[in-house]
Amino acid sequence: MPLVEMKGVSKRFGKVVASSGIDLRIEDGEYVTILGPSGCGKTTLIRMIAGILEPSEGKVLIGGRDMDGVPIEERDIGYVFQNIALFPHLNMLENVSYGPIVKDVSEEERVSVPRQYLELVNLLDRMSMFPSALSGGEQQKVALARALASGARLLLLDEPLSALDARVRMDLRYELRRITKDLGLTVLHVTHDQEEAMTVSDRIVLMRNGRIMESGSPEQMYRAPKELFTANFIGETNLLDGVVAVSGDDRTLVEVRDGSVVEAQPSGFEPGDAVVLSVRPERVHALNEGLKAVVRSMSFMGTYIRVTAEADSEDILEFDIPVPRGGDFNVGDNIHLGWSMGSALVYQRPPGGIAEAVKLE
Amino acid sequence: MLKGITKRYSDVTAADGLDLTVNDQEYLCLLGPTGAGKTTALRVIAGLTAPDEGTVHFDQRDVTSVEPEHRNAVLLSQTYSLFPTMTVAENIMFGPDIRNVPDRDKEQMLVSLLDLVRLTGRAGSYPRELSGGMQQRCALVRAIATSPDVLLLDEPLRALDARLRIDLRRELKSLAKTLGLTVVHVTHDQDEALVMADRIAIIRDGRIVQVGTPSQVFNEPASPFVANFVGQSNFFTGTVVSSGPDGSEVEDDAGHRMKSRPTDVPVGEKAVLAVKVGHTRLLKLEAAKLQGRIERMLFEGRVVHVDVDVDGVGRFSAKIPASHGGRYQVGDEIGVGWNRNKAKLFPYPEGGLENELRVD
Repeated sequence: MPLVEMKGVSKRFGKVVASSGIDLRIEDGEYVTILGPSGCGKTTLIRMIAGILEPSEGKVLIGGRDMDGVPIEERDIGYVFQNIALFPHLNMLENVSYGPIVKDVSEEERVSVPRQYLELVNLLDRMSMFPSALSGGEQQKVALARALASGARLLLLDEPLSALDARVRMDLRYELRRITKDLGLTVLHVTHDQEEAMTVSDRIVLMRNGRIMESGSPEQMYRAPKELFTANFIGETNLLDGVVAVSGDDRTLVEVRDGSVVEAQPSGFEPGDAVVLSVRPERVHALNEGLKAVVRSMSFMGTYIRVTAEADSEDILEFDIPVPRGGDFNVGDNIHLGWSMGSALVYQRPPGGIAEAVKLE
Repeated sequence: MLKGITKRYSDVTAADGLDLTVNDQEYLCLLGPTGAGKTTALRVIAGLTAPDEGTVHFDQRDVTSVEPEHRNAVLLSQTYSLFPTMTVAENIMFGPDIRNVPDRDKEQMLVSLLDLVRLTGRAGSYPRELSGGMQQRCALVRAIATSPDVLLLDEPLRALDARLRIDLRRELKSLAKTLGLTVVHVTHDQDEALVMADRIAIIRDGRIVQVGTPSQVFNEPASPFVANFVGQSNFFTGTVVSSGPDGSEVEDDAGHRMKSRPTDVPVGEKAVLAVKVGHTRLLKLEAAKLQGRIERMLFEGRVVHVDVDVDGVGRFSAKIPASHGGRYQVGDEIGVGWNRNKAKLFPYPEGGLENELRVD
């Protein structure tokens, strides 16, 4: 039985539709991220599960029970907010104790449980410190410990890492996943950060304009996105305008704007169909033959160099080369670009244009 | 240019003898964790904060006691601070330098500025009607409109979505280059700094710990902190047992002996070896001196992040191409190693390694 289920849920604020026709099932023990750009309706969705907002239409079920009219404190959930919300006048142990005390447990547990969760986030040595003496990352870990200490099986995380520095965020992603998996919790984590979503999730639910665009494992969403928007949002990609020249069971041949023909996975399109080809930067290589292009810029990315090239088809292509080979060519050089058939996917060309279909805001 | 800048706030020292030179038309990123003193440095350049000690120079001119409005440096804050009751066009034309421009030139200037940041269709919109990215571009172009000698950007992309940030990095950099601006850009995001900067200045506890091109800072870190802050690193602690022109070797208590580039750390001294996660390789068990078990594999798109728990030594992380992900699984016994030229040795930090690496 799924732990959380949303059936045909919509939410309107006056004329604004924040969620529309949401159907979602979250299995027990699953770590799901709700990913999407600002204003896509992801926070509204999680707030309806928490009981902070009531749906305008549809049902929210937790553990098979209809949550209609059930207040937040009876839903048995832990909630962590973007803005760290610790009690400033309580020390760390007292902050974490707040959950179990409210929940009315035995005296013994009231002492042992908070300590146990502070230990889990590696902050037991700071239990008598006040929030102001801790860094942002540490405070957020305590907020997590407090949510966990309430004993809830369902954890809702609303942009839990957004207020933190990039480097701290990277470390905490791993921690979040480790801790919640160790405890076997079900997690619903809202974020606008596609890298964060990829690293922590069992499954990503991508939203846009109040609707679920697509959902799948991080690997599915990255390797075989069904929508053009997904291909561009989750990881970067090169998008080329073209027309199908040959469509076979083993491959699709696409003619791009300068008349060159490039390969992609089989697609089911018909010759003459207007399409968009998507290929990730790490899959594009400089070869002896292929699309003609001119190198426009090269930037150092640490372990690789990101090259931007302008093809004769007027498409801008980005690709990566290893640092030791950085000297193979320079800005202004003429090169040829290509990729293996399996690296490129073909989509129907959106009627409103590519830019509109992948717009981020 | 900043010389020996010190600034104290009661018991907090936000700048502690800070020296920094920014070259003409350079894009410099000031990179560091929260609380490192990045914003203080920026405000000292702008003249919004007076230093307790030290001097600020623009070219040869000492501007330490010059009022902000006479410095010709513009600071763009994290929150953009557009005037909510003014349209995009009015916001842009508000700059004092523009108000003195003749009307006919003004009109032309506005057209080209709007075009530059792709807001032409939005000239009559109010800030609240714009998306975050548009507001950011509007604030930027308002700052540029005053033709400043130095543009100071305080976390200009922080308020934006992660995916949008990636696109705007490139736009912002190319805009600055097209206009030949001198920019100091404050950020806590090491990827942003690597992609955007001509040079990166790394700041910590009110001091600049290293200045260099992105590749210098990445490949030749000045300290274990820099090694870990700009691209993650793995660390191996031990005693230097041999040292020569070809490289050095460190040995830990358990007798693991690992190689690095040549070092100044003398034989017999405690040292820490740093190697970038991206330069750490998974090896066949038999071929490796460090052996362990795969603890965790995380798909990150272009790469898979692999954590290996090495018995008695600790955790080593590696990034393998996503196409190789199928070769391994959690629980596999595996070796870890690196090309010695990718590993750098540092004297063991006085306050301990954990304290040295603290990022928050």
